[in-house]
Amino acid sequence: MAVERSAVDDRALRDLLEESQDIQSDAMGATREPLAELVELGHERRAGGGFDPVEADQFRVERRRLMRSSLVAGGALAAYGFGGALLRLLETPAFADQALDVQMLQTSASLENLAVATYDTALALPFIGGDGANATVKAFVTTTRGQHADHAKAFNDALTKLGGKLQPGADPVLIDVVNKAKPTLTDAGKVVDLAITLETGATETYQNNVAALADPNAKMVTASIMGVEAQHVAVLLAVQALLKASRPDLINLDPGNVANLPDVAGKVGFPESFQKTDMARAAGEGATK
Amino acid sequence: MAISESELVRLTADLDEMHRATLPAMHAAAEGWTEQLRSAASDLGSSRTNRRRFLAGGGAALGALALAACGSTGSNKATGNPTPTDRPGNTPLTGDFAVAALAASLEHLAVDTYQAGLDAATAGKLGAVPPAVATFAATAKAQHSDHAAAWNSVLTNAGKAPVTGVDLTVKNGVVDPAFAGVTDVTGLARLALGLENVAAATYLNGIAVMENNNALKIAASIQPVEMQHAAILNFVLGQYPVPDAFAKTDGYRLTSDQIG
Repeated sequence: MAVERSAVDDRALRDLLEESQDIQSDAMGATREPLAELVELGHERRAGGGFDPVEADQFRVERRRLMRSSLVAGGALAAYGFGGALLRLLETPAFADQALDVQMLQTSASLENLAVATYDTALALPFIGGDGANATVKAFVTTTRGQHADHAKAFNDALTKLGGKLQPGADPVLIDVVNKAKPTLTDAGKVVDLAITLETGATETYQNNVAALADPNAKMVTASIMGVEAQHVAVLLAVQALLKASRPDLINLDPGNVANLPDVAGKVGFPESFQKTDMARAAGEGATK
Repeated sequence: MAISESELVRLTADLDEMHRATLPAMHAAAEGWTEQLRSAASDLGSSRTNRRRFLAGGGAALGALALAACGSTGSNKATGNPTPTDRPGNTPLTGDFAVAALAASLEHLAVDTYQAGLDAATAGKLGAVPPAVATFAATAKAQHSDHAAAWNSVLTNAGKAPVTGVDLTVKNGVVDPAFAGVTDVTGLARLALGLENVAAATYLNGIAVMENNNALKIAASIQPVEMQHAAILNFVLGQYPVPDAFAKTDGYRLTSDQIG
């Protein structure tokens, strides 16, 4: 079923945004610039000749759900009434399609930037990046850090193609989680625990986004990264299990070790038949301010 | 540290029992998807220009599985020319339904291959079987069975016949010849890695072409799991578990594959 397309009411949008600045300055402080960007993108998108006329209703529902979660996360719905009106405008397809794509890509880039920074922090720890650290773990952290840097660049490249603002920063919510965890990172197991949290959040965020992104390039970039983050999770879960089993000696790439691996190593890396999304981040959590 | 045949049988039985306990949640999720899917069933059969390669393309991608299954020096043993999806007694599926059927057939093939591996291990044909390998095979097999069930529930809820067969193009062209040469767990792991990579690539390609968002969500919830299987298999084989920064579509299968 084709999605109904309606033009954005520019005057109403301007009035609403001005009203937001006058009345909701505190509540909207965090989202004003993104909203201005959305207005600009809405104009650009319409000037570019319109939209793909074929989209399923489920797609619109998915985007509405993510848009709501994004606005709630940004505090935009703090004022009753105004939030609903804004939401209706933002949900008009001509306005919302590219805007939400930009937000999702910025959030994705922010998750990757945070991962890079976190792995850098880990590599500075003697038991991860030091001379006496497990060489396989060190190599994994180093390689994974590089892969996340590649992902951040890919998301920002996709943002460039959509005309969106690049996201060089880290996810503003999860960075607090990382900062609070830093003093507690006293052994490899705690670093692995933190990394699992971040990698799982990234995997599940991208899984949500894949179903909601309108731009085909953005969708495929996200999909091609989603599974790689899941692989990071699988490896980290296996490492976590071996550490808990007091067998750090088995954390290496010697094929001869397979005979000594505990049976849990054969299943711990993929605990679910279907990847879940309960740890996904809000679509606009990492949108640029 | 190898395990005995009786231990292997007990282990797989325990795993299966544990796995069954998690199924209700999966079925609830699949029913939720398929309930939505039913109302949009007509969308699933549609076809668009940008999907033609996946839905009707040739079989050139088969070589990737052959290479992976047979090792880095293996040759492409693919011999069959893909034929249009053949489902005796049923109208050929089109659009996203064809992708769902292809996915179910690949999942069935994975289930059968892991079961054949477990049978061979139980029969002592693979030498010593490490516990982690037996656990992996039993767990991955159960998850692939869940994936097949999810796709078949999509089909049956839309009034289509479920897929009970396997991807014969891959089975006859690659899996059977490769399995005949498997004499140890390393060989079995290499074959499994090839299948997992092909499944993941097929799902990634499917995400690019699927029009129905619920079908796409199913693919997006399975593709990461197949890639996790591949990561652990790489680890078991002594290979770097996350070799690529970006998942690839190399080796993806086509809806023109023969199913039976």
